[in-house]
Amino acid sequence: MKDCARYAPMLGAREGELDAAERAGLTGHLAGCAACQARLADLSALRGMVGEALGREASRRDFTDFADQVMARVERRRAGAIRSFFRRHRVLAVGTALAPTLAAAALVVYLQLRGGGGPGIEVVSEDYAPMVIDTDEGPLILLGDRDDSEGT
Amino acid sequence: MRRRTIRLGAVAAAIALAIPVEAAPGIPMRIRVIKGSRQGPAAVDPRLADLQPQLSRLAYARWEEAGEQQVDMDFKKPVAVALPGGERLEVELLESRRDTVTIEVRVPAHRSISRLTLSKDKRLVQQVTPEKGGEAFFVTVRPWP
Repeated sequence: MKDCARYAPMLGAREGELDAAERAGLTGHLAGCAACQARLADLSALRGMVGEALGREASRRDFTDFADQVMARVERRRAGAIRSFFRRHRVLAVGTALAPTLAAAALVVYLQLRGGGGPGIEVVSEDYAPMVIDTDEGPLILLGDRDDSEGT
Repeated sequence: MRRRTIRLGAVAAAIALAIPVEAAPGIPMRIRVIKGSRQGPAAVDPRLADLQPQLSRLAYARWEEAGEQQVDMDFKKPVAVALPGGERLEVELLESRRDTVTIEVRVPAHRSISRLTLSKDKRLVQQVTPEKGGEAFFVTVRPWP
């Protein structure tokens, strides 16, 4: 009984866990102890059942999309991190959203201050062929030649 | 809700800024009728000194002022300008921004219309009568003189 208390815990030891003396002692004890032989038989049966159940469960699972599922979870976690970053930095988020609008507004203001998109001179005459000379001081518009094409 | 309010505000601001400012009537304009002559010694009326850089580009040697009016122009209210030969022209303010105006000059006698934008420091010099005997009349328009 005293020996059972010593060797019974060694029954579940894995390969390499016991040194040579312990292994020899356990073998000697098992040869003469029916109770420990019964324990070892139960343990082996249990291990076999558990291993078999795990194997069955594993083979029932479809692991073909395992990598995709892992990557999807990683992406979700990344997106969540970005969302939580913007939640923590609201001013930055609002600024980012308004940036295109502000840029467009600045462009409009700039064009208005410049005088709307350029000088744009339009001269039409039914009798003459006007000429426009653009100078630094402003435009010079001359009547040009008389357009007699209709009369001749 | 708050985010939508901010977006609507930004869009409204952009639209308001994009609309041309047409609400400031009474733009002061200096409208002068000037005569250019090929004959005689070269001389420029001292009242036309500010136009000298533009006038010097033309082939006329003598320049005199023939008439002047300073008006506060309102939108879409043409100002009539009499020319010495009995003809007349019209100047109309079409649009004004911070420091530019868009005007239209109509000369019914030779059925011509010019439309242009002038900034504060610029002026228009436009020939309004054909040359006769080496002389021609011009109109010059300067906003915010």
